[in-house]
Amino acid sequence: MGIEMERGRGGEGGEERIPGFELEGRDEDGMDRGILTLSVGPQHPGSGHFRLIVKVDGDIIVEALPDPGYVHRGEEKMCEYRNYIQNIPHLERPMIADSCGILYPYVLAVEEICNIPVPERAKYIRVIMAEINRCIFELYWLGIYGIFLGHSTMFMWPMADRELLIDLAEMASGARVTHAYFVPGGVRNDLPDAFPEKARRHLLYFRNRLKEYKDIFYDNPLFQARTVGVGILRKEDAINLGATGPVLRASGVEHDIRKVEPYDVYDELDFDVITMKEGDSFARAYVPWLEMYESVDIALQALEKMPSGPVRTKLGPNPKGAVGEVFKRVEAARGELAYYLVSDGNPKPYRVKLSVPSFREIPVMAHLLRGAKLADMPSIYWSMNYWPVEADR
Amino acid sequence: MLRELLSPKTESKRVDGERPANFNVLVGKLSEVLVRAVDKPLGYAINWGRLWSLWPVHLETACCSLEFGAASGPRYDVERFGIIEAFGSLRQCDLMVVQGTVTRKMAPRVRMIYDQMPEPKYVIAMGACAITGGLYFDSYNVLPGIDGVIPVDVYVPGCPPRPETLIQGCILLQEKIKRTRFR
Repeated sequence: MGIEMERGRGGEGGEERIPGFELEGRDEDGMDRGILTLSVGPQHPGSGHFRLIVKVDGDIIVEALPDPGYVHRGEEKMCEYRNYIQNIPHLERPMIADSCGILYPYVLAVEEICNIPVPERAKYIRVIMAEINRCIFELYWLGIYGIFLGHSTMFMWPMADRELLIDLAEMASGARVTHAYFVPGGVRNDLPDAFPEKARRHLLYFRNRLKEYKDIFYDNPLFQARTVGVGILRKEDAINLGATGPVLRASGVEHDIRKVEPYDVYDELDFDVITMKEGDSFARAYVPWLEMYESVDIALQALEKMPSGPVRTKLGPNPKGAVGEVFKRVEAARGELAYYLVSDGNPKPYRVKLSVPSFREIPVMAHLLRGAKLADMPSIYWSMNYWPVEADR
Repeated sequence: MLRELLSPKTESKRVDGERPANFNVLVGKLSEVLVRAVDKPLGYAINWGRLWSLWPVHLETACCSLEFGAASGPRYDVERFGIIEAFGSLRQCDLMVVQGTVTRKMAPRVRMIYDQMPEPKYVIAMGACAITGGLYFDSYNVLPGIDGVIPVDVYVPGCPPRPETLIQGCILLQEKIKRTRFR
């Protein structure tokens, strides 16, 4: 207590109020209780372009108020004055690390509302690309997670392995990250002839490489000291606060849209839903690693089963939607990603609503930060799989 | 900087009345000779030091930060060119890479961060959004480029630019610094 009093005296006499660094609350005898209000972000070495207003009492976070919206670009409004095909490029920009994942439900929704059939081969190609993109995203996120916990090796290794998978995606679509590869009625172009062989080779190499991550990263005492037992999310809280994806599965809830509501050909492929019971930051980092094994397996299976044939249904220049509404969801790398699309019969959608997983992690993050240590903030923040560009849309 | 140190004005204030009148003139001429002799090689040396140790601010504004991260990765490795991966205080930084879309909410913060950086400072506008608004040219919340907010040295086009393009932009900036007269 004495130490706190001493520290509180430093900020007495509230004339010098620096914005973003404020003292508030006093005891009965007029001393500062020493609750600091800190503004973390939008420029901060430990966070993205997202602001957290954090109230700390000593080293403990009393309250964390998220302030998103720094990258709000009006995607949903822009959808209303472009037609269905023109919407593809800008709808994948919110999350270009996982550009297939974020475009997937839109394409499914447009196919349903415009009544477009999809060739069988295109469904398999979509699954392959979605799983490769899932790995690309998880690797990028692992790298960022590693470097924000002071583990530079963990930045370099996934970034290097990621390039192999990016090569595959680039071979298929022609672009490094913004593929715009999924279109209503299939995929934009067929895979090159050399793709299946190269993909098999790269994916098998990548699966062997994943084992080394456990030695260098997950078994590392430095990483474990900062994540094990930090930010524990109980199962009930995870469900009540609406967590999705790896965050939900790390708390022991077996929920995966690929199993619950299979789309395209996921019901024909064999894979497991990874869950862990702990619900701490370590589990939230460990689940994606295990999921990458599953992703590689899914992609390899799909490569085996892929039939030959056309990959795209020919469309008119400006497909019109039937009057009505459609709700489609998929399991993107960060969790459940849903599109709600309303059409009034015009070539342009009447309303497009994105429900993105990152935005749903904000209340979970605020819940976990309450009562945590300030030094644990980066560990909790980055374990949430929170991406401001996607959350703000 | 060097001129201010050696300028006769500051000298005359201190030694007024104690030294012969033509002493100031002498010091002035001497300083001019000194500046002329030292300025060019010293300026060259300082510019050389600057251009091989550019520290970018850790400021992401949108999705181009992904390719900025990839450029720091092992395959592209911008550290070869003296661009150091940004994880530090912005008070030690001299390069700002505006990585993508700047929205109405972000623009005052970008300006605030730019103002807090010490001189000399350079700005790279990365991506179509930072140059003209890009794909979001007709969005209600996006600025049509950052020219109105901060001065830009190098424009790197692309949506997002490939890491090679970003590296080329950095090399162009280094060319520019090399040819700038030392201030």
